[in-house]
Amino acid sequence: MEENILVIGPITSAMKSRDILKKNGINSTLMRTPQGIGFKSCGYSLYIPENIQQAQSILGRSGITVMGKASVKHR
Amino acid sequence: MIYLDNGATTFPKPPNVIRAVNQALTEYGANPGRGGHKMSIKAAEVVYNCRKNAALLFGIDNPENVIITKNCTESLNIVIKGLLKKNDHVVISSLEHNAVLRPLEAMRKRGVDYTIAQAVPYDDEQTINNFRSAINERTKLVICTQASNVFGVRMPIERIAAMCKIHGVLFCADGAQGAGVINLDLKNTDIDFYCTAGHKGLYGPMGTGLLIINSDVHPESLIEGGTGTDSANKTQPLTLPDRYESGTLNLPGVAGLCEGISFVRSKTPERIEAYEMKLARHLYMGLKKLKKVNLYTKIPDSSYSVPVISFNIDGMDCETAADILGRKYGIAVRSGLHCAPLAHNSFGTEQGTIRVVVSAFTNQKQIQSFLWAVKNMTQNKP
Repeated sequence: MEENILVIGPITSAMKSRDILKKNGINSTLMRTPQGIGFKSCGYSLYIPENIQQAQSILGRSGITVMGKASVKHR
Repeated sequence: MIYLDNGATTFPKPPNVIRAVNQALTEYGANPGRGGHKMSIKAAEVVYNCRKNAALLFGIDNPENVIITKNCTESLNIVIKGLLKKNDHVVISSLEHNAVLRPLEAMRKRGVDYTIAQAVPYDDEQTINNFRSAINERTKLVICTQASNVFGVRMPIERIAAMCKIHGVLFCADGAQGAGVINLDLKNTDIDFYCTAGHKGLYGPMGTGLLIINSDVHPESLIEGGTGTDSANKTQPLTLPDRYESGTLNLPGVAGLCEGISFVRSKTPERIEAYEMKLARHLYMGLKKLKKVNLYTKIPDSSYSVPVISFNIDGMDCETAADILGRKYGIAVRSGLHCAPLAHNSFGTEQGTIRVVVSAFTNQKQIQSFLWAVKNMTQNKP
């Protein structure tokens, strides 16, 4: 299954990331980082059903640290 | 009661602030940044909106650099105790509040020392020169109030910050009395840290304050604990704002602060200041006409002060005068040293003063009532 979430961590960073992506025409949904995807503690992620690669690039250019990508079955 | 103690905290608060506090308590009062359910996310959105609002008001790009504290004193303590180490030297102005002076006195025990640079009211060049002269090779930090909480005198903080930058010294501004009435675009200044209260000129509830970090240098945290993220890690996260916000935030307070900042942004600090300055000048001129009233500053003016006035009445100590104003005339003012003994030393008012501070909700009729009351007091009328 294709990766569809970006793991961000702090909720402020996740919300800022969501706003940046929205400005760039990419919709995302804030969610708690699920367990069992390789990230072992609490934090927040963005569910991005489309354009996740582009989203990651945009956030990287914006100085946001993305901890990683993962896939979840559904939201 | 006629409330003229707005330097301590503004009252009343705007209706949207009261509504926001109420909504936080009754509609979505979950813990922000801790859960994934709707109420927690809604609470976190409100906190995030508060950061964005503050970032817009103070001209910084990154909302995460807006640290929410419980008051300006806490913000100043984070800067002072989180930055300074043994053998560091600090320069402060002669108008600083105890929120600066006492943490620095405490830091003496850890080998930090400080010098007081004489603020020269209405002479920015001399004030800046005094700061420059006080800097030495060990100086790590300069702290200066944006405006005196006792006399309203504005300090040239942008220029002092620029001078500090040249000398490689960090600069922190205490904006407790300036925020909300002085426009500030931090990203175009060399101010590294801006500390302010949320409950004064920003019209939020008490128990709220801000530390805005406009620097790559970040103080150590003073407390560590749960941040809702990275919980498996034993060490405190270094990311902003989490590094400084361990434990549950004051959500109702932050919700109110967010709306208080919206109130200020909608009116603009310039218009609030212009309105308050008109009242303050009227008040000052009224006091000036009274024979037994002593004033200590020039008439308030936007170019060199904020609308804060201190005075005394001949033959009456300030505590007695404030007591009579409160009990007999129903007027709330502040008396004493206003937690700023340094400022009183500078102005020769070690006995204290009566301080009057207006707000966006004060009106001319209230000023007239106040002047009438003081006139009666100077004439020993019952």
